[in-house]
Amino acid sequence: MNFDFSTQLKRRAFLETSSMGIGAVALAGLLGGGRSVFGAVENSVGDASKGILGEKLHVHPKVKRVIHLCMAGGQSHLESFDYKPKLAELDGQPMPESFTKGQQLAQLQKRASELKCMGPQFAFKKWGKSGQEISEMFPHIGAVADEIAIIRSMQTEQINHDPAHTFMNTGSIIPGRPSMGAWVNYGIGSEAEDLPGFVVLTSEGGGQGQPISSRQWSNGFLPSKYQGVQFHSKGDAVHYVNNPAGVTREAQREVVDAVNGLNRMLGKRRLDPEIEGRIAQYEMAFKMQASVPGLMDVSGESKETLEMYGCTPGDGSFASNCLLARRLAERGVRFIQLYHRGWDHHGGIKTNFEKTAGLVDQGTGALIRDLKNRGMLEETLIIFGGEFGRTPMAQGSGRDHHIKAFSMFLCGGGIQGGVTHGETDELGYSAMVDPVHVHDIHATMLHLLGIDHEKLRYRFQGRDFRLTDVFGHLVKPVLG
Amino acid sequence: MRRLAVLSFVAIIFSTAVAEEKLSFNRDIRPILSDKCFYCHGPDKNTREADLRLDVREAAIEGAAIVPGNVEESELVFRITSEFEDELMPPPDSHKSLTDAEKELLQRWVEEGAEYEAHWAYLPVARPNVDAEGAAAIDAFVDARLQMEGLKRSPEADDVTLLRRLHFDITGLPPAPSDLVRFHELGLEKYVDALLDSPHYGERMAIEWLDAVRYADTVGYHGDQPLEVSPFRDWVIDSFNSNKPFDEFTIEQIAGDLLPNATIDQRVAAAFNRLGPSSNEGGIQDAEYVAKYQAERVRTTSTAWLGSTMACAECHDHKFDPFLAKDFYQFAAFFSDILEKGAWTGDGDYQEDPNGLLKSGVILDGSGNRGRGPMLMVPTEEESSRLAGLESSLDSARKAYEATSPEFVSAAKKWSGDRRGDLASNQPYDYVYLEDKGEKNEVSTNGWTFVTAKEGNVYQGNVARKQESKELIQHIGNASKKPLQVSEGDVLFAYVFLDATNPPEQLMLQFHRDDDQWNHRAWWGSDKIPYGGIGTERPSHHKRGNLPKVGEWVRLEVPVSEVGLKAGDKITQLAFTQFGGLVYWDTVGVRTLEGEYRGGNLPDEIRAILTKSPESLSDAEQNKLVEHYRTVAPELEPRRKEIAKLEKEVETLTTAIRKVPATISAKRREVRVLPRGNWMDKSGEVVHATPPHFLPGADLVKETEATRLDLAKWIVSKENPLTSRTFVNRLWARLFGNGISNVLDDLGSQGEWPTHPELLDWLAAEFMESGWDVKHLMKTIVMSETYRQSSHATPELLERDPYNRLLARQSGIRLPAELVRDNALAVSGLLNPKVGGPSVKPYQPAGYYQHLNFPRRTYEADMNEDQYRRGLYTHWQRTFLHPAMKAFDAPAREECTMEREESSTPLQALVLLNDPSHVEAAKSLANSSEDLTDLFERVLTRKPTEEELRVLQELYESEKARLAKDEAFAQGLLAVGMKKLSPEHPVEIAARTSVARAVLNLHETITRY
Repeated sequence: MNFDFSTQLKRRAFLETSSMGIGAVALAGLLGGGRSVFGAVENSVGDASKGILGEKLHVHPKVKRVIHLCMAGGQSHLESFDYKPKLAELDGQPMPESFTKGQQLAQLQKRASELKCMGPQFAFKKWGKSGQEISEMFPHIGAVADEIAIIRSMQTEQINHDPAHTFMNTGSIIPGRPSMGAWVNYGIGSEAEDLPGFVVLTSEGGGQGQPISSRQWSNGFLPSKYQGVQFHSKGDAVHYVNNPAGVTREAQREVVDAVNGLNRMLGKRRLDPEIEGRIAQYEMAFKMQASVPGLMDVSGESKETLEMYGCTPGDGSFASNCLLARRLAERGVRFIQLYHRGWDHHGGIKTNFEKTAGLVDQGTGALIRDLKNRGMLEETLIIFGGEFGRTPMAQGSGRDHHIKAFSMFLCGGGIQGGVTHGETDELGYSAMVDPVHVHDIHATMLHLLGIDHEKLRYRFQGRDFRLTDVFGHLVKPVLG
Repeated sequence: MRRLAVLSFVAIIFSTAVAEEKLSFNRDIRPILSDKCFYCHGPDKNTREADLRLDVREAAIEGAAIVPGNVEESELVFRITSEFEDELMPPPDSHKSLTDAEKELLQRWVEEGAEYEAHWAYLPVARPNVDAEGAAAIDAFVDARLQMEGLKRSPEADDVTLLRRLHFDITGLPPAPSDLVRFHELGLEKYVDALLDSPHYGERMAIEWLDAVRYADTVGYHGDQPLEVSPFRDWVIDSFNSNKPFDEFTIEQIAGDLLPNATIDQRVAAAFNRLGPSSNEGGIQDAEYVAKYQAERVRTTSTAWLGSTMACAECHDHKFDPFLAKDFYQFAAFFSDILEKGAWTGDGDYQEDPNGLLKSGVILDGSGNRGRGPMLMVPTEEESSRLAGLESSLDSARKAYEATSPEFVSAAKKWSGDRRGDLASNQPYDYVYLEDKGEKNEVSTNGWTFVTAKEGNVYQGNVARKQESKELIQHIGNASKKPLQVSEGDVLFAYVFLDATNPPEQLMLQFHRDDDQWNHRAWWGSDKIPYGGIGTERPSHHKRGNLPKVGEWVRLEVPVSEVGLKAGDKITQLAFTQFGGLVYWDTVGVRTLEGEYRGGNLPDEIRAILTKSPESLSDAEQNKLVEHYRTVAPELEPRRKEIAKLEKEVETLTTAIRKVPATISAKRREVRVLPRGNWMDKSGEVVHATPPHFLPGADLVKETEATRLDLAKWIVSKENPLTSRTFVNRLWARLFGNGISNVLDDLGSQGEWPTHPELLDWLAAEFMESGWDVKHLMKTIVMSETYRQSSHATPELLERDPYNRLLARQSGIRLPAELVRDNALAVSGLLNPKVGGPSVKPYQPAGYYQHLNFPRRTYEADMNEDQYRRGLYTHWQRTFLHPAMKAFDAPAREECTMEREESSTPLQALVLLNDPSHVEAAKSLANSSEDLTDLFERVLTRKPTEEELRVLQELYESEKARLAKDEAFAQGLLAVGMKKLSPEHPVEIAARTSVARAVLNLHETITRY
């Protein structure tokens, strides 16, 4: 979490909160050589919410925040953004062995000798002035085709859901590394006054709901204030955010006042910088108890807005979450991640893809239009896509996991709208032209936020770690 | 946050000392070279630039980088001080740079002769000389260092603080106010002894050890299903309580199963090898996950015991330490004998057939394909004797059943004669295809159950299928693997019993032919079930008639031709379908003339024997008939029932007995060096189990077939310099807030030069020489004056040594997550002090597991005394750790964790303010306290100051006024939690509950000073 008053990063808190008359210069020296390595940027001791880079970003930032729309389960590129007429031609024919020989397959491994092509299940259309080719299943995304940059040449390294999500989020398959939202908050902090800097929302429907681990929004080895906080559409939006039965807000205020009053007395007896931090956390918690319900209460949204998103408040749908994403963005949250668990279409892809697309399309289109109408799109980066794609080969009536090629799109500040980057081979099996790796998406995202992905580092177990490990290149052709 | 101080501390604190004395390579130079140079000029040959390495003196001299004593001639000095970018080292694009102070140190070091030292942590542990023993020795080392810095230790902490510190550090439970008196009576040493003897000592010690060995109650990957492991946790607690020497403790975990005549406890300990995350995600590759598990074992073992980052050598030689990639895989090879699958799905394979390897007390959990294989039963004494009793009864029952008397033989002969008659007959007969459970493990799913005659209604056999609904409902009967082949003129039948008060509207029997879909249906009643198409009449939707009579067993029949089945077609499955109502279904079969099925459900072999002429039968064949008769003989029915009952009891008991994943040594898997860690690359060399090549004593293990036992013995051998240092350093960090070397999981080059190297070595030597006596180590440390000093910092001290590395005071440490909970439960009187047992489930926010699947599940909190167990027993769901535990920095335990973060976030405040566990504790505390002073004292072991009491009283009065206005508020607050309170004065107790909440939220309450 990332709050103005947070003192999680103790060495900082120590300086901010201490009134013991300690020589700030000596301490600043002490802090300068700490564990963090941030290139040439020497951060002075300042507001923790600014992140480790403070005002001194590596490059001029194009956007303030990221909204990641994660199509969990792995949305098929062949039914969404990558039309393959040749695959349609070969529908039902054996998959040419030249494509698949020696490649890793997931569930299809067992039937590796009898692989058959499956043609695209839906027609594609050319949308907007740019004429971007997008499946007819995505009319609302199609309507904003000129705003988005499609990448058809994505590749990843992990073929099963859990490790693939971990890789997409942390750039590593070893559990325990920080997720990208945590890295971003660590680097540049958050503008949210009374909300966490990294918020996660989830929805499901349209296909088998693959599990999502809370590891996906973990802070890893970064301080825990940078962890993603999951907001729930049912029950308490944030765990323990509501008062116990019989306790009103005023009564809670009195308890918090008593706690802080007593803690201040302790602070007078003890020279312990942690005490001031604790007091600040209670103030923050009390604020959150009001701000979180305020965020979730969309009764003030206009009828037009609700219609545009196509959601009923409180229904827990992806569209509702898209609306909440805009509200979180307005409140300064730095990294917003929406998972829709419904894309794992091993079987019945025709019906299920249509169903899932129906649940996701309108909210996505509405979010982009809404942000644009409010002048916020140019300061936001939207990332849309799953943890991997799906095979051109049939798996019964569906498609298996696929890592050699899949599609994502980027949209918002610094992104050139209406372009398509990269190409797959004629069957959509392998990214052939301009392959883009997960690390490259990370590098590009950080760049748009003003961060050089090679310079944002953290020392752990004797080594400097980066989100992009030792990899990552900017995907320059999609940058505006 | 002890880590934050690492490098800077060295630079600042040492700057004064360094000016006078000769530089020490390990202290002053290695950290710089390691951090700034070794990446390109270090141990990893693959990334070495200009063929120059600086980690070996000879190589650095040979490469002319260093000319000892000659700064001008040394290329290193020239490069680091160059003003030209293309000459400068480290190169600017490496994003590394040297400070002026570091440049000066390197120059001075070259000037002084550029002496190297082996890395401190790899040198043998040698006990430094000191004029003191035991705790006093600790003080002597600390004082010597303080003296050098011109500082002094702080005075001893006041009694209350010290008492609380000892309690939280040794048992993890707070003292009761009355303990202060006992503390004074017994005196320090005896009191410490008493705490060390408490059964709660083992619980406190277990917390950090469980972090290290990544103990958790679920499998970690994907569906993160539960896995029974808790006996391992109890073994850890018991081991600490019984003060098992740390060398034995180590050996039993890594190789307890390999010890001669291994006890159950030792085999439980060996579950360490199987605590890592594992996966049964569909579609995963066996070999990939075998590689993941082997790497994880190397990471955990090398970190937990050796304080080394061997993980870095999975893909390449280590950049900073001398571990080669080959060392990583040689280490992995120690574990290659562990019987397991990579993919715990239908796609995974054991390295050899497990059935031959299951020793006594081990069962194979094959529940679906998703079990985790061999599980060791850990029975209580009572269970052991019950099991032995049952097995002996079973044995005698079987013997009685198997006895063959002459009468029995003649009965068998008669039976055989009758069956021969059946087979020769030409009348149609019933062949039963499905009676009772089909496939052995067929289980009820939603909406229907197997019932016995006692529980419902059975036509024949042991059970029937009871199916009830308000709408369409069906289930598939998994008959046998053997399909039913139909013949011309056959009539299919099934028996149904329609409940008289709740009959269905429609019945339907559906048959699945092996080579097509479900296209064969017969139905009775009104046309409501959509399968086959309402309103149609065809073989896939054939109406047979009206609903049969209710309240009795009725035989439904349909000729095969009516549902489109021809001679030779094979039925593989059938479905019992009904619309609404309550129906019992039983006994499905075919009435046929077909010879194959004649003679009832005779096994093929028996049928064949019976078709031969009786005179021609061999003894063996005769015998087979007798043995088959034994399985159907009516006179043996009671015996068979008895055996079945006993078997069932054994099964029930076996299920109830606690289990832990068993480590079983099987055929070793081949281990290769995986280039860049890629499991698909088979080009690397095959390696054999060997400890890291450069560590002392590594040559002790030379056998190509060295085992886990060899590894364990090497880890705790006196020659191994790392194990003792790693353990004492970590324990020290827990007791002082900082390690002596402050990167607890890395004693290597990138770790930290110890603040008190001699103290660390003295402790490591003392620990080993005491026979790895953990309680001795603990006692020695807490008896020291260094430990007992006050944690109050003066402004001067805070400025001089903000992170308390010099130990001129104690440290304030936030209680770990488990203890935050334990403390609230203990002071409120709710704590259930039971030690050990299966994991428990405290209250948790609803819906927290909504993202878990396969299967979906709902968390159900324990609504009994298990609700109030200590935090370390909390069900540890790796992917969704209990939110209160998580908020206070408990790790997910997906990986070995040597050091927890110590954060302070608003989420912690929300937990303490609003989590029902804490609210209920406040309520209970309020109800059991005499007054506000008493309440405060129960929590903090001291009386409130006047000023503090005033705050408490103001809160109390204001709450009382509020709650008196609307008593529903008071009742609401008092209703939180499982234990309901109905006090005589609800308003007063509720108001006091608010005060208790405040006190339980105090910084002092959750801090050990």
